[in-house]
Amino acid sequence: MTRAHSAVSRRRFLGGVTATAAAAAWPRGAVAQPKTTLTYWNGLTGADGKVMDELIDRFTRDTGIQIEQQRIPWAELYAKLQVAVPAGEGPDLALIHTVEVPHFASDGVLEAIDDATLAGKGFRGDDYLPATWQGGVFQGKRYSLPLDVPQHILYLNVKVMKEAALAGPDGKPRVPGSRDELVTMAKKMARGDTFGFAIGTSNPGRYTWGFHNLLWQNGANIYAADLKHAALAEPAAVEVAEFWGGLGNALKIAPPANANCRDAFIAGKLGMWIAGSWNFTGLREAKVDFSVAPLPRLFKQPVVWAMPHQYSFPKPKTADRTRREAAWTHVRWMTDHVAEWTLKAGQVSASRKAHGDPRVTGDPVLKTLLAQGANWQVGQPTPKWVAAENLTRPVIESVYTGQKPAKAAMEDLARQINALPE
Amino acid sequence: MATGPRRRRDAEGLALTLALLALAVLWLLPIVWVVVTSLKPTENIVRLPPEWIPWPATTEHYREVLFSSSRTARIGRAFLNSLVIALGTVALVVLTAAMAAYPLARMRFRGRHLVFAVLVGSLMIPNAVVLVPLYVLIQRLGWLSTYQGLIVPEAATTFAFGVFLLRQFFLTMPGELEDAARIDGANAWQVFTRIVLPLSQPVLAALAIFAFRSAWNDFLWPLIAVNRPEMFPLPVALALLRGAYAAESYGPIMAGAALSAVPLLVVFVVANRRIVEGVRLSGLKG
Amino acid sequence: MTPYLFLAPGLLLFAAFRLYPLLEGLRLSLTNARLGRASYQYVGLANYARLADDTRFHVSLGNTAFYTVASTLPVLAVPLLLALALNRGRLRNVLRSLFFFPFTLSVVTVGLAWLWLLDPVVGPFNYYLRTLGVPARSWLADPQTAMWAIIATTVWWVTGYYLVVYLAGLQDIPRDLYEAAALDGAGGWRSFWTITVPLLRPVLLFVVVTHVIGSFQLFGQVFVLTGGGPGDATRTVVQHLYETAFQNFFQFGAASAMAWVLFAIVLVFSVLQFRLLRGHTEF
Repeated sequence: MTRAHSAVSRRRFLGGVTATAAAAAWPRGAVAQPKTTLTYWNGLTGADGKVMDELIDRFTRDTGIQIEQQRIPWAELYAKLQVAVPAGEGPDLALIHTVEVPHFASDGVLEAIDDATLAGKGFRGDDYLPATWQGGVFQGKRYSLPLDVPQHILYLNVKVMKEAALAGPDGKPRVPGSRDELVTMAKKMARGDTFGFAIGTSNPGRYTWGFHNLLWQNGANIYAADLKHAALAEPAAVEVAEFWGGLGNALKIAPPANANCRDAFIAGKLGMWIAGSWNFTGLREAKVDFSVAPLPRLFKQPVVWAMPHQYSFPKPKTADRTRREAAWTHVRWMTDHVAEWTLKAGQVSASRKAHGDPRVTGDPVLKTLLAQGANWQVGQPTPKWVAAENLTRPVIESVYTGQKPAKAAMEDLARQINALPE
Repeated sequence: MATGPRRRRDAEGLALTLALLALAVLWLLPIVWVVVTSLKPTENIVRLPPEWIPWPATTEHYREVLFSSSRTARIGRAFLNSLVIALGTVALVVLTAAMAAYPLARMRFRGRHLVFAVLVGSLMIPNAVVLVPLYVLIQRLGWLSTYQGLIVPEAATTFAFGVFLLRQFFLTMPGELEDAARIDGANAWQVFTRIVLPLSQPVLAALAIFAFRSAWNDFLWPLIAVNRPEMFPLPVALALLRGAYAAESYGPIMAGAALSAVPLLVVFVVANRRIVEGVRLSGLKG
Repeated sequence: MTPYLFLAPGLLLFAAFRLYPLLEGLRLSLTNARLGRASYQYVGLANYARLADDTRFHVSLGNTAFYTVASTLPVLAVPLLLALALNRGRLRNVLRSLFFFPFTLSVVTVGLAWLWLLDPVVGPFNYYLRTLGVPARSWLADPQTAMWAIIATTVWWVTGYYLVVYLAGLQDIPRDLYEAAALDGAGGWRSFWTITVPLLRPVLLFVVVTHVIGSFQLFGQVFVLTGGGPGDATRTVVQHLYETAFQNFFQFGAASAMAWVLFAIVLVFSVLQFRLLRGHTEF
């Protein structure tokens, strides 16, 4: 199928080349399309994106509905969505993270979903993990439907750990039980161009998702309980920032702020790695010898950062029933085939249906991810969450590189967040 | 007597040339590295020590970025977008700038000094200064994520430079042919299209290349003026291949980077002298 | 009538998409306009006043100024040295083409290539440094070196362009001047300072003016290579403007104020340089 598909697009491409002058009218109809074509935006830029491609190919074969996928990194995707939807250029369907729901909803970017429609399409709250289902609601109205639960997990590089004598007699790498143990183990591995521990994919210095995870483990958060004032100057948050700043500096265990940790892990230059669940299928593809463990408790609680993906319907300029129905068909189809998505993309499903699938429970990584469920925590439901996250990135990076002391940086960040416009 | 120093100078010249050649090779290594990386199978890309011979070689990354229908940023489509935008800009700039430069160089009329002064002065306006209001304007026109929304502002940016460049050239043209045509009854438009333009081919080509390059490579304006990813031109599509939370492999990124260099490389090889001439004309009289 | 008809299309284009936005920006800078909001109010100079307190804007200005100052000498000198060398040796046109080639690449392509070369863990540059016994650094994530890495990348990118400009300028210098100087016993070094530099002055000034105006708009390199990091160590004015207008709350009013501050600075520099240029070419 992949092959047939690429032949089609090659023909499209060549057709386009010859018609460059007239390319303003891109040949949408170069291939006969008897049915609807949906536009669908997502930020699945990792290995999970390729899995989405395969599933969408199957969906098109099953239903005849074509999907034009557009994939750009999440941060840009959200900025574009914010601008495109009011201009009438939004997609029919967008996959977004749970923390985006409040601000998109309050800015009128997303269409509300009423209960009757939901029930009519066969979506029931009881089928879902409660936190994921609830994440689609803002101020009493539903704006999105959960697909899966990307989350953090600990990856262990067998080769690196063996070399540092950190594997048991059975060849299995040791799993750190505490922060001290993790640091001691990481120090044993860190020498030359090999690093013991990292959080984040590319640019670990500004990996907010990892920083949030550590905050939550220490009982801290971006906002205080009132969701109005930043809580980053609190001692618990500063303690996390101090650990963050020590990773590359005082402890000398983590790679530089702009290292590509995934590549380092693949190249056998990184021992223990806290990163997203979406990385593991790619690691298998690259034939890396690795194992996984539940996220270690580095602070007070073994909280695991989780961020359910949600299907949402951006407001169109003019309502188009056929397209909306087609979008629903796709959401329904993916929900019904979510076990496949789970298996190949490494993302645990939000609906419980696939959780008992023997292929899921039989996979060591997926089993570990599912078992973390009790410790999941998501971002705070405030429209300012994302803006605060944008401000957090450079600040935690300056802590990571040792440009700013942790306490002053957190106080500064809290000030910046409190100064965000309403 | 004279052969001694000359031979020594020859030897010095040869050594200098060889040293410069070596430096040039070193200078181009980053580009070689891009091409080498783009030809390696994914599992061979991240290797230490670095491998400079891409063997076994593969074209999978090129196929992926060009033809895969469901891929990330559709480099193939972005390539076409860039081509349309760059050619459109060239056409618009060359036409409007030539038309404007002609009277400024060859006719006397009220306000011509003012017009020219404003145009030259505008060369100092940084593009970033007009970014926001231009966005508002393009949005009001309904031109976001369209070719005209990229071509027209791009052309407006290069226009003043084009007028400047062409006027310098028109000023140096001898007037006899124009006079002869006028005596034969040709009107101003006919003189312009039949005499002036054909005589100006070298400088028009230089301007065309300049406009092509700046439109092909522009990054900031398309980054904000295009919301629909299928309308991204190459630089934007390439920059966005690299996500913050998931690391794309270097293979497709480098394949896209290499592809993006091809059109200008071709122009460069074919029109090397024109480019040098253009830089000369634009640079020395600046 | 004829000249105006010829001018009309171009001037219309220019007025609508260049002049009008410039003035419209000034108006917007006096409002609290935000994208997606239907209405806005005039707030006087409030946006400018806020800029006085915006420490990240100050950092961006400082970084932009640092870049401008620090990059000028290498951008001026590296192509000049190359041009002098090329002018003496053989294969001038071939070499000129080779050095020119990077300039045909887009800033994104340049950035991606160098990002990969300078990768702190798996990049070749650090690998060879280590084999030479030099300690590896994360050039782009180290606040001491990040801006210098961006400058080096830029020099690599634009050298070919200025090389061509210099070569053209060198060819316009009559050969017999050097011969006469040689007869007077002037060495290469002296004739460089007494003949080459003075006669090349307009070219040198052109290079400086072009480069300085470009420097104030530094964005693409930073966007691709560092994202303004580490921390805010390479954040530039244009990047700050871009993020204010198009990423964080779409504050068009505030961003327009930044644009006009930038414009004012560029204007002052241009006038100064124009004075300088005019003063020295009339010898």
